Amino acid sequence: MATEFHNLQELRHSASLATKVFIQRDYRDSTICKFQTKFPAELDSRIERSLFEETLKTLNCYYAEAEKIGGQSYLEGCLACATAYIIFLCMETRYEKILKKISMYIQEQNEKIYAPRGLLLTDPIERGMRVIEISIFEDSGSTSSSSSGSSPSSSTAQ
Amino acid sequence: MRRSSAYIPVSTAAALLVTSSTLFFVFTCPWLAVNVSPVFPPCVGIVFLFVMANFIMATFMDAGVFPRANEDEDKDEDFRAPLYKNVEVRGVQVRMKWCASCHFYRPPRCSHCSVCDQCVEDFDHHCPWVNNCIGRRNYRFFFLFLLSLTLHMVGVFSGGLLYVLDHPENLWELHTAVALAVMSVSALFFIPVLGLSCFHLVLVARGRTTNEQVTGKFQGGVNPFTRGCCQNVQFVLFSPITPRYTEKLGERLPLHIQPPFHQPESHKLSPDGSVLSQILPVKSLEEVDAPDSKSLTCPPPLPPKPDPVLLKNHLAALEESLLQSRALMLSGHSMNPLQTSESPTKVLYQVPRDQMGSRISPLVPQEHASEPSLLQPENHANALTLNSRSLSLKHSSRRGSQRAEIPHASQSVLSGRTGSLSYDSLLHPAGVQPAFLPMDPGLSRGCVDVQRLPARNCSPVFMHINREPSPVRYDSLPKPLMSSIQERREPDDKDKPMQDSGIYDTPSRRSLPQDLRGLSSSRGPTPPAYGSREFLLSSAAYGYGSRSHLSSSSSSSLTRAPRTTSSPLHFNRSLSPSIYQSLDRQSQLPPSTLPAPLPTSSYGPQKALAYIRGGERPEPEL
Repeated sequence: MATEFHNLQELRHSASLATKVFIQRDYRDSTICKFQTKFPAELDSRIERSLFEETLKTLNCYYAEAEKIGGQSYLEGCLACATAYIIFLCMETRYEKILKKISMYIQEQNEKIYAPRGLLLTDPIERGMRVIEISIFEDSGSTSSSSSGSSPSSSTAQ
Repeated sequence: MRRSSAYIPVSTAAALLVTSSTLFFVFTCPWLAVNVSPVFPPCVGIVFLFVMANFIMATFMDAGVFPRANEDEDKDEDFRAPLYKNVEVRGVQVRMKWCASCHFYRPPRCSHCSVCDQCVEDFDHHCPWVNNCIGRRNYRFFFLFLLSLTLHMVGVFSGGLLYVLDHPENLWELHTAVALAVMSVSALFFIPVLGLSCFHLVLVARGRTTNEQVTGKFQGGVNPFTRGCCQNVQFVLFSPITPRYTEKLGERLPLHIQPPFHQPESHKLSPDGSVLSQILPVKSLEEVDAPDSKSLTCPPPLPPKPDPVLLKNHLAALEESLLQSRALMLSGHSMNPLQTSESPTKVLYQVPRDQMGSRISPLVPQEHASEPSLLQPENHANALTLNSRSLSLKHSSRRGSQRAEIPHASQSVLSGRTGSLSYDSLLHPAGVQPAFLPMDPGLSRGCVDVQRLPARNCSPVFMHINREPSPVRYDSLPKPLMSSIQERREPDDKDKPMQDSGIYDTPSRRSLPQDLRGLSSSRGPTPPAYGSREFLLSSAAYGYGSRSHLSSSSSSSLTRAPRTTSSPLHFNRSLSPSIYQSLDRQSQLPPSTLPAPLPTSSYGPQKALAYIRGGERPEPEL
């Protein structure tokens, strides 16, 4: 279908939001932040399973690293106590740094992998870390230039 | 906005704490520094600072409030979702309760605070003394506040005691009186604060929250959230602080999503290969975002209801014709009527014949070929019809105001189309059926949503229904009769699930190409006959005026329905087990279905009753 229109310059495409898939949290390991890696059926024809699973595994790794209790978290806790928590006003915690990394990763994944396939990942922090929302867009048809004045439109998501 | 009286305890606590400590430092500490130890006042000072820091953090820090769920997330949950959902946490079944305020299933350990009117992660309790919920993010501050306050009280009391004991003769002197007052306040609040501190020490050691302890959640059972005493203490005190969920996020870079979209390698359309996956994007779409969908227009008004007497007459005539046509179908000469079929097939598949034929014929050899082009807007009408019918069933008991809209949609769709199935499309299961998404929650938003649903879900039931080319006599009979015949035939069909016993059964299974029969049989013990009947009954039941007869049993089954994963047709189960179990199974089939000669929406109320009765019958095959 894509190839048909490549040569037809007068045809324009637009995408519209079709549905949303929600990847739920995986609570099997208690309340640590982890998302189910089960491949949703709705994405079966939109993206390769391996790509999706890789994205989710990376995200889970990021979250596991953020929530890891280790040397750095001890240091942060003690420092915070010692400074009467004023340190929170000056410094970014490790979790916040990793969240920024996650946000950049999701943005990159969207640009490189998901947007070309008509999908859009939403950062789970926007949903309270309860779900990963995947918006599925579909080609809402093409409008040809012959049908006067139609201009190309695209869905922009932020 | 909390009541102003909610600020009294926190104000009192803060005032008492600050005032008492200040008085102690001003009146007692100088003597202590000189006569006891110069280190004593600084230690008390540091502990006091720690108390205040933790008090301020416990008061002002977000406890881990979950933002309300978006409409999109909960639109399939609200009406049919059960109250509880089970999830396994470390081998223990934990119940997640549906939060009616926040519109999501509360994660484990989450609870809704009635004072704050928010769901809080790892909810401990709502503390009036800090006027804040204590949850995951600020529990450590609250816990440390309690511990440090206990220590501070001990220090203040002991310092005051030392002073008073050293000045017994001047009890009414200012400094002594102040020391006595501070001691009294400390002693008064020491017992409850100590008790609370010990209580929370035990909770932390056991890995429980106050909420869980008080409600006795793990009294007789295992606490899946505990990691052992040391790990629990470590988790409370040194785990990284999770981020605020309700924070406004910064600007993100805009992302352009523009078709054409890449397809996975295994799903690329090819002339020879299966195009099954082509249909899946549309097939699997089960939720439609109302504001974004622009492809369909609002339906025209509902046509007038049929006369019951006339319907009965028609029913008799239809039944007779169906009997004859059935014989024809069994004999394998059923193809011819297709070309002469009129209203039923036209009604069912309001697709221009030329479009159907041209699009389907190249795919004819494909057993599972689906026709993506069929899912173009012009096919939406067909899907619309089905979806609107199913929608009306699902929401009949809940949205009376929307009921009228659904048949409108179907009527308008049916009346607006003049195309009919091509012979080729009916012969070969290459066509994709209009989407049948009876349980699409998105449809509950109104007719506009119903229309937008379309063409996105293929119903394999169609395939079964329409494997048998519709008998010529169907065309001449009004649609209400067809469903009546369905109704009458149901008892017979039940007895012979695998035989061709109904109009919309698949008697042609015998006459089908071998590949199709193999296809259906390979999918398990699906009784297409029954399923197709059920399906037709359901579609028939949504003729205008039939909504009022949708029984409460259907609607009650909605709330009882167990929540399933996001499969397009899983919702069906809650609606009518018999119908939608078959649909659900068939949904696993490739959408290589023939269009089914569905009856149109001109069914009267009795057809809805027939549907309901049929729907409630047990389905032995399934």
